[in-house]
Amino acid sequence: MPTEKDTVSRAIRGDEEAFAQLYEKHFAKVYRYIFLRVENQSEAEDLTQEVFVKALEGIGSYRWRNLPFASWLFRIAHNQVIDYLRKQGKVEKTSWDEDMPLVADSDPVLAVEQKIKGEKLIENIRNLSPAQREVISLRFGAELSIAEVAKLLGKSPGTVKALQYNGIVALRKKMLDEA
Amino acid sequence: MAGKIEDILDNCLERIFKGESIEDCLKDYPEHASELEPLLKTSSSFMQKSFTICPDSEFKARTYSQLRARLYTRREKAQPRGKFFAWSPRWAVAFTAVLVVLIASTGTVAASTSALPGEKLYPIKLATENVRLTLAFSDMDEAKLHIQFAERRAEEIAEMARRGEGSQIPVLTEQLATHLDEVNEIGKAWKVREKGPPALGPYDGVEPYAEAEKVEKLKVMLSDSRLRSLAILENSLEESTGSTKPSVQQAISDIKEDYDKVLFKEEAKASQ
Repeated sequence: MPTEKDTVSRAIRGDEEAFAQLYEKHFAKVYRYIFLRVENQSEAEDLTQEVFVKALEGIGSYRWRNLPFASWLFRIAHNQVIDYLRKQGKVEKTSWDEDMPLVADSDPVLAVEQKIKGEKLIENIRNLSPAQREVISLRFGAELSIAEVAKLLGKSPGTVKALQYNGIVALRKKMLDEA
Repeated sequence: MAGKIEDILDNCLERIFKGESIEDCLKDYPEHASELEPLLKTSSSFMQKSFTICPDSEFKARTYSQLRARLYTRREKAQPRGKFFAWSPRWAVAFTAVLVVLIASTGTVAASTSALPGEKLYPIKLATENVRLTLAFSDMDEAKLHIQFAERRAEEIAEMARRGEGSQIPVLTEQLATHLDEVNEIGKAWKVREKGPPALGPYDGVEPYAEAEKVEKLKVMLSDSRLRSLAILENSLEESTGSTKPSVQQAISDIKEDYDKVLFKEEAKASQ
């Protein structure tokens, strides 16, 4: 079975199938992470698309640095979100686009259920501090390891673990309040 | 098992991500079980909910087809370098060089030199760089240009960081490294001979020590470029916004490593 390094090497050489594999593996995670940060489906879609366009443009010069490909991809995604929030005047959205379903797949009942779950999720993380929210989104949305998150945010692994712990404690409190 | 609760929680989360149950984790930390259990349940519930956030399948397919179209366009544009000049007579090369210099002195190309990624003139800047590389008269000239363009990428990273626009920084870092790789490839072809009596055998057209001097010169150029690029980036680190700082720090660490790798290879060759 080819390793991720093999797949990335093929994608660098312009192999479409290899790029498709990377796309398939990371697309949902990138979207989920961005959605948790910007809280709006259409914005999350635009930003996700932009991340993959940049990844495609840059992959020809990508080099393997003994880090998973996701580390590089999420550096682009993380900075894309920061650029977006900065241009929005750092005002985090207070509500998402009500007209847009969270998932638009065929089953409408499932789509509504998932939308409600997603709304609750956003409600829950809105109470976290920006740093806690960033760490929780990267750990649970992007599924990055503590070491990868630490590298991405320029913080020590200890600090990231503490932010994760405090974030989960705050989430717990919010969920109990709701119950 | 003792330890900080943050570490224990993270350890359990990693195990749950890999498919273990909450109960399995709690068994290993009985003294923390009462505190850990609700946190792990919250995490697990949050994780389940976050999986419901999925991109719309139609959007995913649409994005992929757009990316594929870009991939094809890129392939069509990519042509093997030097092919045109391989059959062109010398006067054609000289004529084209003069033409490029003339065009380069006109407004658009001149203005593009300060363009940044995402700006309309940036593709012109990159195209002009490629033309200059194609027209390089010697391998040493080509190496000099690659070093110059590597420094340009460092300047662009610094400016993007100052503006608080970090999404291009990882891509620019890799492009800088590609220029250094090219320098390394050029240097690889130079033969370094040990001092001593000339080797017996047919003359292969390479002057005994000429290429050793080129290696030495390249080493100095790379070393100076390393200092300049890192100084540009270190300065921008002080001026960049908090949010782009980690990206610049990562770029500095990667670029330092890339310069050192190429320099190490050149040093090794020079000391042969």
